[in-house]
Formats: sequence, C-alpha cells, structure tokens
Amino acid sequence: MTDLPTPPTVSAAGLTLRYGSTAALDDVSLRLGAGVTGLLGPNGAGKTTLLRVLATAVPADRGAFTVLGHDPNTTAGRQNVRRALGYLPQTPGFHPDFTAFAFVDYVAILKEMTNRAARHREVRRVLDEVGLGDVRGKRIRRLSGGMRQRVALAAALVGGPGFLVLDEPTVGLDPEQRMRFRELIASAGEGRTVLLSTHQTEDVAMLCHRVIVMAGGVVRFEGTPAELTARADGRVWSSTERDPGARAGWRTGTGSFRNVGDPPEGATLVEPTLEDGYLLTLDASDAASASSSEVTA
Amino acid sequence: MSWHVAEDDLRAYVRGELAPPALWSADTHLAACAECRAVLNEVGDPVALDEGWERLDAELDAPRPGFVESLLVRIGVADHTARLLAATPVLRLSWLGAVAAVLVMTVLAANSVRASETPTLFLALAPLLPLAGVALSYGPALDPTYEMTVVAPMHGFRLLLIRTVAVLAVGLGLNGLATLALPSYGLRALAWLLPALALTATGLALAPRLGPVLAPGLVAGVWVAVLVIAEAQTEGTLAPYTVAGQGVAAVVAAFAAGLLYLSRDRFDSTSAHTPFAGFQDGGAA
Repeated sequence: MTDLPTPPTVSAAGLTLRYGSTAALDDVSLRLGAGVTGLLGPNGAGKTTLLRVLATAVPADRGAFTVLGHDPNTTAGRQNVRRALGYLPQTPGFHPDFTAFAFVDYVAILKEMTNRAARHREVRRVLDEVGLGDVRGKRIRRLSGGMRQRVALAAALVGGPGFLVLDEPTVGLDPEQRMRFRELIASAGEGRTVLLSTHQTEDVAMLCHRVIVMAGGVVRFEGTPAELTARADGRVWSSTERDPGARAGWRTGTGSFRNVGDPPEGATLVEPTLEDGYLLTLDASDAASASSSEVTA
Repeated sequence: MSWHVAEDDLRAYVRGELAPPALWSADTHLAACAECRAVLNEVGDPVALDEGWERLDAELDAPRPGFVESLLVRIGVADHTARLLAATPVLRLSWLGAVAAVLVMTVLAANSVRASETPTLFLALAPLLPLAGVALSYGPALDPTYEMTVVAPMHGFRLLLIRTVAVLAVGLGLNGLATLALPSYGLRALAWLLPALALTATGLALAPRLGPVLAPGLVAGVWVAVLVIAEAQTEGTLAPYTVAGQGVAAVVAAFAAGLLYLSRDRFDSTSAHTPFAGFQDGGAA
C-alpha cells in the first residue's frame, strides 16, 4: 500500500460487521484522500456494506472511523458526518410524483437547508451541474433511467458535501450515459473525497486516482490503479489456443487468446490492463482462502 | 391589473422576508406587472434588489407545489415542513379517500344495526385507522427514499414526529367527522380517542425493537384480541369503553410516549440485526 498523495480525509480501522455467520466486513481498515477512489470487488465482496457503514446508514459491530475529522460514534459527530456527506445508494428510491426539482429540494430540506430562496438556488445549481436544468419541472416517473440516476446524483451533490459516497452509479446506463456520468463524477471529485463502488474496471481506469479491491469482506488491495495494473506485469500472454495452465483465458476480437496467470516458458507477453491486475488479485484471494480452509480442515 | 403588491410587502420582498403564500403571489405578479417592478426599484437598495431578482428568477423556475403542499402552506405550515409532509404516502388523496370510505361504511353499519348501547364495530375500527396511517408513513419497507433519509442530518425522530402529527391530525379528524354521524350515541361514540392514541404510541414505541411492520401489526392484533375477549365476557359496555378501560388506555398512551422518547436515537439508522438498531454514543451498536 502506497502513501496517500494528500492527508487522509476518511480513516477506518478494524470495521467488522456480521450478518449471522457471514462476515460482510472483516477487520477492514482503509484511508481515503481528496479525489476519486474506486472500490472494486465481486458480488458479495462487502462493498455496499462498507459504503453503508461509512455513510452512517448502518453501524458496524466493531471498529471505528472518522470522516473529515468527525467521529460518527457520538451524536454530534454523526450529525457533522451527515452534514458533510453526499450519498447515492445502489438503488436510489424516489417519490415518483415529485418533479426532479421537488425531489432534490426535498433532499435539501433533509440536509437542513430551510431558507427557501438559498435552497432553490442550490437545487437549481446542482440540477444544472448534472445537465438536468431543462427538465427540472418534469415528474420523475417520466424521466429515463439515466436521467433518474442523474437526479439521484444531484440529490447527493446538493449542499456541496465534502465526502461523496456513490454505490454503483453507472449500473444500467448505456455507454453514452456512462461516459456522461464519468465526466460528472470526475468533476465532482475535484476538491472533495469521493468513494465510488463499481464493477467496471474501466470506471476505475478512467476516473480514479486510488483503488481498493475487496473480496469476502476483506480489503485485498489498496493503492493506485497503476500499482494494481503492475500486479499483472509479466503475467499476461497471448496464444493461438487457450492455455490450460492459465488462471483465466478468453478469445479476443483478433481471434487469438488472452491468458492471465503464470505464463509458460517462451510465452508472448502482452501489456497488462487494470482488469488483469484485478483478476489476479481476486484469484490470489481465492487461493489464499482455499489454502486457509485446507489448513483449518 | 386589478391589484398590485402592497408597498410594505414589496419592502419585505426585497429584504427576503416575505413568506409564502404572499411570496408566491408577489413572484407571479412581479413577473407580469411593470408598475410594481418600478415601485420595487424605488423601495430597495440596488444590492438587495439584485438579490431579489435572482431569487425571483429561481422562484419562477421552481415548479408549483402540489395540492396538499399548497394547502399546508396556506394554513400556516412552513414551506420546508410542507414539502416533507408531501412526501408522506398516506397523506395522498387516494389513501385518505380509502379511509373515508371505510369510515362511511362502518357508520352506516352502526346506524343500521343498532343492537347495543355502544357502536362497537365503529369503536373497534376507529383506533386502528390512525395506527395504520402512522405505520405506513415511515420505515425502510414503505418509504422509497428511506436510505437517503436516514443518512441526512435531519434527525430521523424529528421527521417521524412531523409525519406522525400530520397523519394523526388527519386520521383523528376523519374519525371525528364520522363520530358526528352517530349522534344517537352521544359522547360514548368518542370512546375511540384514547385507545387510538394508546395504540399509535405503542406501535411506534415497539417499532425500534420489532420493526415498522411487525410492531403495529402486533399491536393491532392485541387490540382485536382484547375486544374479542371483552365481547365474550361482558354483556353490557365492552371493557375498553368503560371508565376503567379509558383510564388504562390513557396510562398505556403515556407510558408508550415515554418509551418512544427514550428510543428516539434508534430511528437514526438501519441495521442488519434489528430494524432500527441505532448508534450508541461512544461505540458501534
């Protein structure tokens, strides 16, 4: 793990949360600084649970964290964390009869903005920022999925939060909408701390200055995207047939096979990508779990 | 123009102190009336006036509030509180219409089958309607924005109370109108009031421990069971509607209200373990 380029704004130590016998978070420690940090991991890795804990939606069983110097385990500290927070949940809910403006206005009121004129200026600002200024009077049920997602992002941005938590915001968006959303997130990451959960390694490659990989409720990697990519240096090769010794292999558009794992002697090595580094990190996690199970057994 | 904004209102407008609905009227009127805009130029200093135009610009962009929200503002509710209440599903006309229909049918039944001295069916049902209304106005299963709401700095208990007071006021109001349709029973027809408060407060007080669905469901079940047992054991007025029964309801309501107050921080988060586990100061819950 490399040092953060800026002082940490969010620090967590030993976060643990169990659902029955399953550890959704198992002794998770991390530090976030200004800019966009990507949170990668397969389904069930604990990403959403971590985001919900850091957003103060659910308390951890054990462990502690601070956001911008505030401790959420005190009433005053929790209020301060929430005042500094913008949260876009995995499946944001809406009051469908509300217009985009009314919904963001509603969230602004929940964020204690009671001055009507100032609040309306702020609502207009964030709707313009996400490109919905022209449809602010439309009812949410009449908006497309991509537009609804942008309404939810506007609600997260209202009030200018210092810590933005985005849970898989690009899921279900078409390529053009996804690119538009990446632009918005990149812009939102200027001068604030953004934690972005995603399945898309392209999101991380294009947006993030740091990346965290989780699997089985445990942090498996924390560093820069370049460092994650470097994990696959010398471990990606091409071949005319699928290499049975590869951890993963697939036919590419050119007809050749791209293999990831431990290359055989004389293999034709190719430039690794972030996804290769991610796959190898997950694979190492699986191997470590299997070996741990064998030892336990 | 048949009317113009009063000069005092224009001064208040420039200072940003004019409150809705007068503010809305001024916004709309100023956009169309050059004469009032000229007066506005005279009464305000340039800096404040620029702010006023900016505010007007923002207001004209803001969509008009819906029927319930406008009505709430006109009766004196602050505009931000009205917006919070407009997001309460059970304050929509469809739900209120359904409650009114149930009450009308119950009153008709009570008047047509007058077998005893008390309108038992009405008194059994009336306390359950406010309980159901309050139960349906909050919670993760019923509020689509619950997760955004719970991480907002506004205290969850405050939002709960705002919605509860509004739903109770509407529910008790409808019950009260229904009671007027049972004049032959006199004050006995008002015996639903204390049980209604007791059931609603108990349902809310148990919600942090049992969840927002099970708690009111259990309370409703106990209420029905009490009535069935009382019906089987008594010939005359059912126990909950006697003086002693009303006293018990008052004590239960007060006790539950106290318990609810003590549990207020539990409405401030969700949990995998219990419906509203909440945070405990000094450590994770």
